[in-house]
Amino acid sequence: MIVCVAVVGHQNNPLYIQSFTEAEDALKLHHIVHCSLDVIDERVNNPSKSGTTMNEAFLGLLYPALNYKVYGYLTNTKVKFIMVTSDLDVRDTDVRSFFRKFHAAYVDAVSNPFHVPGKKITSRTFSESVTNIVSSYSFN
Amino acid sequence: MVEPVNSSLGKMLLEEVSPVVMVLCTPLVEETFLKNGLSFVETLKPFCNFSNIDVPVRTSGDQLYRLKKFTLRLFNAADIRQPNVEVAKQRLEHVITQAGEKVFHDLESDPPQITDILSNSESEIAPTWFQYYNKELIRTLSFSDHEAFDHPVACLLVVSSKDEDPLNKFVDLFNTNRLPSLLNDGVMDPKILKHFLLVHDNQDATTERLTSKVLSEMRSTFGNNECNLLCTNSSKEGNVEHQANPWASFKSSVPAEKLGCALTGDDIGEIKELMQEFASRHIIPYMEQKVRDLNQQISATRKGLRNQIKNLWWRKGKDDIPDSTKGSIYTFSSTESQIRILGDYAFMLHDYELALSSYRLISTDYKLDKAWKHYAGVQEMMGLAYFISDQSIKEAEYCMENASSTYMKLGKSGFQNATRCGLWWAEMLKARDQYKEAASVYFRICGEEPLHAAVMLEQASYCFVLTKPAMLHKYGFHLVLSGDHYKICDQVNHAIRTYRSAISVYESTTWSHIKDHVYFHIGQWYAIVGMNDVAVRNMLRVLDCGNQSKSTQEIFLRDFFDIVKKTGMKHEVVGLRLPIISMSSLQVIYEDHRTYASQASALVEESIWQSLEDDIIPSLNSGKSNWLELQSKLLPKKYKESNVCVVGESVKLDMEFRNPLLISTSVTSVSLICELTENSDDLKLVEKETSSLSLGTEHNQVTTSGFSSFTLSEVDFTLGGGEKKLVRLTVTPSEEGILKIVGVRWELSGSIVGVHYFQSVPTKAKTNKAKRKNKLTPTDALKFLVIKSLPRLEGSVDHLPDKLYAGDLRYLVLELKNNSESPIKNLKMKISHPRFVNPESHEEELTPGFPDCLKKGPEQNTVQRETSRTSVFAFPKDVSLQGDRSLRWPLWLRAAIPGTISLYFTIYYEMENVSSIMKYRTLRMHYSLQVLPSLETSFEITPSPSRLQEFLVRMDIVNRANSDSFEIHQLSTVGCRWGISLLQPVDTILPSKSILPGQGLSCFFMIKDCRKPGTEEEKTTSILPSQTDIKLITQDDDEKLFDIVNSPLASFHESERSCHGTSDQLSPNTVDFILISRLAKSSNPSAEQDLPKILSHHSCHNRIRSSIPLSWSLDGPKTMYHDFSTSFCEIKLKMVIRNTSDGFLSVSINTIDGLPDAAAPTPSSGNLSGWRYVPAITEEMKLTSDVMGSRLGKPPPSMESSPPFIWSGSSSTKVQIQPLSRTEIPLQISVFSPGVYNLCSYTLTWELSEHENALSSTSSGICQGYPCYLTVLQSE
Repeated sequence: MIVCVAVVGHQNNPLYIQSFTEAEDALKLHHIVHCSLDVIDERVNNPSKSGTTMNEAFLGLLYPALNYKVYGYLTNTKVKFIMVTSDLDVRDTDVRSFFRKFHAAYVDAVSNPFHVPGKKITSRTFSESVTNIVSSYSFN
Repeated sequence: MVEPVNSSLGKMLLEEVSPVVMVLCTPLVEETFLKNGLSFVETLKPFCNFSNIDVPVRTSGDQLYRLKKFTLRLFNAADIRQPNVEVAKQRLEHVITQAGEKVFHDLESDPPQITDILSNSESEIAPTWFQYYNKELIRTLSFSDHEAFDHPVACLLVVSSKDEDPLNKFVDLFNTNRLPSLLNDGVMDPKILKHFLLVHDNQDATTERLTSKVLSEMRSTFGNNECNLLCTNSSKEGNVEHQANPWASFKSSVPAEKLGCALTGDDIGEIKELMQEFASRHIIPYMEQKVRDLNQQISATRKGLRNQIKNLWWRKGKDDIPDSTKGSIYTFSSTESQIRILGDYAFMLHDYELALSSYRLISTDYKLDKAWKHYAGVQEMMGLAYFISDQSIKEAEYCMENASSTYMKLGKSGFQNATRCGLWWAEMLKARDQYKEAASVYFRICGEEPLHAAVMLEQASYCFVLTKPAMLHKYGFHLVLSGDHYKICDQVNHAIRTYRSAISVYESTTWSHIKDHVYFHIGQWYAIVGMNDVAVRNMLRVLDCGNQSKSTQEIFLRDFFDIVKKTGMKHEVVGLRLPIISMSSLQVIYEDHRTYASQASALVEESIWQSLEDDIIPSLNSGKSNWLELQSKLLPKKYKESNVCVVGESVKLDMEFRNPLLISTSVTSVSLICELTENSDDLKLVEKETSSLSLGTEHNQVTTSGFSSFTLSEVDFTLGGGEKKLVRLTVTPSEEGILKIVGVRWELSGSIVGVHYFQSVPTKAKTNKAKRKNKLTPTDALKFLVIKSLPRLEGSVDHLPDKLYAGDLRYLVLELKNNSESPIKNLKMKISHPRFVNPESHEEELTPGFPDCLKKGPEQNTVQRETSRTSVFAFPKDVSLQGDRSLRWPLWLRAAIPGTISLYFTIYYEMENVSSIMKYRTLRMHYSLQVLPSLETSFEITPSPSRLQEFLVRMDIVNRANSDSFEIHQLSTVGCRWGISLLQPVDTILPSKSILPGQGLSCFFMIKDCRKPGTEEEKTTSILPSQTDIKLITQDDDEKLFDIVNSPLASFHESERSCHGTSDQLSPNTVDFILISRLAKSSNPSAEQDLPKILSHHSCHNRIRSSIPLSWSLDGPKTMYHDFSTSFCEIKLKMVIRNTSDGFLSVSINTIDGLPDAAAPTPSSGNLSGWRYVPAITEEMKLTSDVMGSRLGKPPPSMESSPPFIWSGSSSTKVQIQPLSRTEIPLQISVFSPGVYNLCSYTLTWELSEHENALSSTSSGICQGYPCYLTVLQSE
């Protein structure tokens, strides 16, 4: 189950963060997302270490926290997508396709002429489509 | 990278993995040394570290090498045991608490900046007490049973010379009963090197001889080399002070000056020498010897292929022994322990090769035995040995990881060891600059105990900073985690410290959720430690938490106010973000020479007023020569551009407050912060209100006290969740000078004062200067030159309705009042819509009341008003206002057109004998009216077919009102030229008396041109005024008609005329009508007083319309008597043709004889050219006419029977007619029998051209003759 998805701007400012848990752990998820930015930076700055993916947006597993796995994705405009899942057995291909759909939804949202680039995404349509994408992936 | 030996881990190992010397001393010895504030062990401790001992060592190989650095660890025999876990824990907690108290004083300062953190080196970032803590943590594990480096290598037996029978004492000391249990249990080897020391106290001079005797006895008993004498306390007074006290760093609880006060430099030298000798002469050779012995022994039993196999076989046999982790299976004498001792001794003698090989040898054994704790301990030592000998990094890491995970597997018992292993491992990684890995190691050894975890997490966080590039996000996260753990175990100081550092990470980000959490908790914690000021400062950051849930916001606010209350004073906070002030909404409203009658008028755009006032205020040029120049002389230049306001008149500021939260907040005592400086010397502040952090009540007193040179308004309001409110604040200066509006202050929930300064903020000051001159800065817009009190005119229009019908005529009063004593004069008024409002020319009240005053009185006064009107109305010269007297000036209002109308009044007045800066002022009033549509009239005038002077008027009335019906009262033509008369009785026109909403009505009138034909330029005065009006009501016969000639109807009509004015305004052929109506009485019984009394509808420039540019009439006798027996009858007729157009007309008349109906069907009246008046001549004729009219389109049967007539005279005549003139053409017919003849068998062909003799005609046409009946009778 995906517990949290986030869109982070290129200055590491949060553009959209949404958790899908009932519990009051928004703060924890915020911290997890915030921390994973370090890992993204590291991956991006040392591409030799990650090795496999020079031209790929998908960054793979960022780090395994205690109960979660954090995956990252970097768009061409240096906008980061971060996904936190509580499933510990996840296939990369699933995550990849998840991010692809998520990216499409994001592109739709920022193509709105009323969206200010670099500002938080407030579109209701976007959050609806994200909820749909999230609910369609359970990874198990 | 640092040399492994010189790294912090290397130093740590040198200290921790070093030979242990067990000290056994008598109480008297301790007593001797306590004179210095130190125990015996403590006295010796500083001299146990040898940086250059330079001892040659040969261990297993033949190679000799020299030991450089060496350390001894001294322990009292009582301390040689495994420390109690609880005691150890308490000791660690004590360390942390102590450190927390130390940092307490730093907490008040501002949190560190992230750039500072990044530029600092490791030692500066991490608090120094970490090393101390780590050391203590490692010490809790000393003397464990699975390791050998804590086994005492030697034993120091100390007896004082004062002791009785010292020799026996020495024996007693090494009594097995008193030895530590570990030695007796067989874990440690009790056969160790012994050294005997006799202590002599020099302050105790009496025993000197005894001492030497005892020493010689000792030497003879224990051997010469093993005995030493230590003389101490040579200073008799005991007040020696040591530069760089060697004990200071070891014992901090006692002031450093007291330590070793009885020890002279010689004593210290003696101690030093003693220890040096003890180490180099006794301990090192002893260890050397032991290593060699052990090595030999082990080589014999364990090395070599045969031994290996034997060993394996033997161990296999032990497989049935249950897995035991207790470790007691190995005594010091077992082979495994021996090898371990060999390894540790070799390690301590810095022979890492030997140590490694021993460890390797033993580790397989332990592994096979499943003695995991021993195995892990050996792996740990292997890792350290690899590291310190700078061998394979991978191997070292592997060993450490192996050790750590093995310890972890042991569960709780192994965790302590895992921690120590982890600390060493982390240090190892740090030494190799692998900070990130070190951080993860720290994270691994967090464990469950919160305090321990907190320290480890904090250490991990510092590792993230030191990573290149720094991983600040993780740094922040780990600090927050660590802070939470500190908080759990009540180490609030540390919690604050970590959060404070974390703030530097989150401060500039937009991760508000995290940020709010950090600021809120740090604020709470500051409050716990009693630093409420700082708590409030931090809490302020979370007030603007609009993105949090409602419950969170409530918690935030509640806690915030609790803390504020605890501080017990009212803080003044600059930039408080609750509520948020929208600076773009800021609007300044003030009055200089422009004054406003009401709020609404102040908000009207300045350009409207300017265009209105253009005519009445002194022009710019003359103005410059007058007051502007004077002002520039009087005032310093810098004030020239500031706005002007007047003492006693308030300056208003509108601004918007917004509540970002979901919960409502009460905002009280909102007022402006102002400065008023004396004009004379602008440097001296009369009153400064901007004291930055002055607190509380006394501040308020200043602003509200009467001594203040200005008064401020205070506003209280409550903002609901997310609500916005526009608030008006005023300041009223009471002295001359320079007034500056600096900011705004408010009280939030009565407990905290927010201040907002308007620095460099764009404002929309409503000042024409600001618009004209762009160089005015926004702060200038809030700066005012206060001038002395001036008269200020107040004005209002009484009873101005806000809703009325088009055409509604009202009588209003303009009331003007000047409250000051100095008079004003030279009043002028201008109204934006002269069509709507018309001032009366004199002040008198209306005597008969409205609307009767408009009616015609018995004395007809038909004085013509002068029609030349200016848009500026000047009040009579003698009007001057002063004191309480008010001027009531009558005004007429007529709603000319429907729609929403803004009426602007501006009244100009001049002041006498006052300020040179301001000579005049204007009062601006603004009202808006809603005008509803009422009756709509349109007139159509067509020439009468038969009478050139008469015209038919069709009036179409439509009631456009929504609900009300109207009665028509009167219709009048304007001017003396046109007389009007009814065609039908009033009852038939308007049977229902009133026109209902939506109803349309047409009625017909006849107007008559009263001028004499041909003399168009002369005015006819023959017409009576009464002829211009028709009463259109039947009831109330006594009611008089309204007089349209007099004001105000006439003047309104004038403005209507000019509004509808066209280019041919002066065209004489236009008629103006005024229809006067009133609201039907029954239609709206409520709202009696606001009902319109009369409505006038003006219709101007109605032209006489016809489709052809000419009109004609055939004149002749209507009835003739002729004796047909004598001859046929010749009748002379006259055709008058009038050119009604502006062009030149040529007309040719063709008469048609014969069958008129075949040639041209009789044109039916009204079919072609509108309304024709068929004059009633006789009953008979009328009947015929009716018959004719009723059979339209059919050939009239009467025609067939009518005898024909023929046109005699010329059959075709062509004439030219000048514009707007007429001509007469004689015609003649011959009639042969009596009868009724229709003289319509002719056509007029006309051509219209612009110029005379023009070749091209603009239009042309043919007109059929219209019926004209002639009756010829047989004469008697």
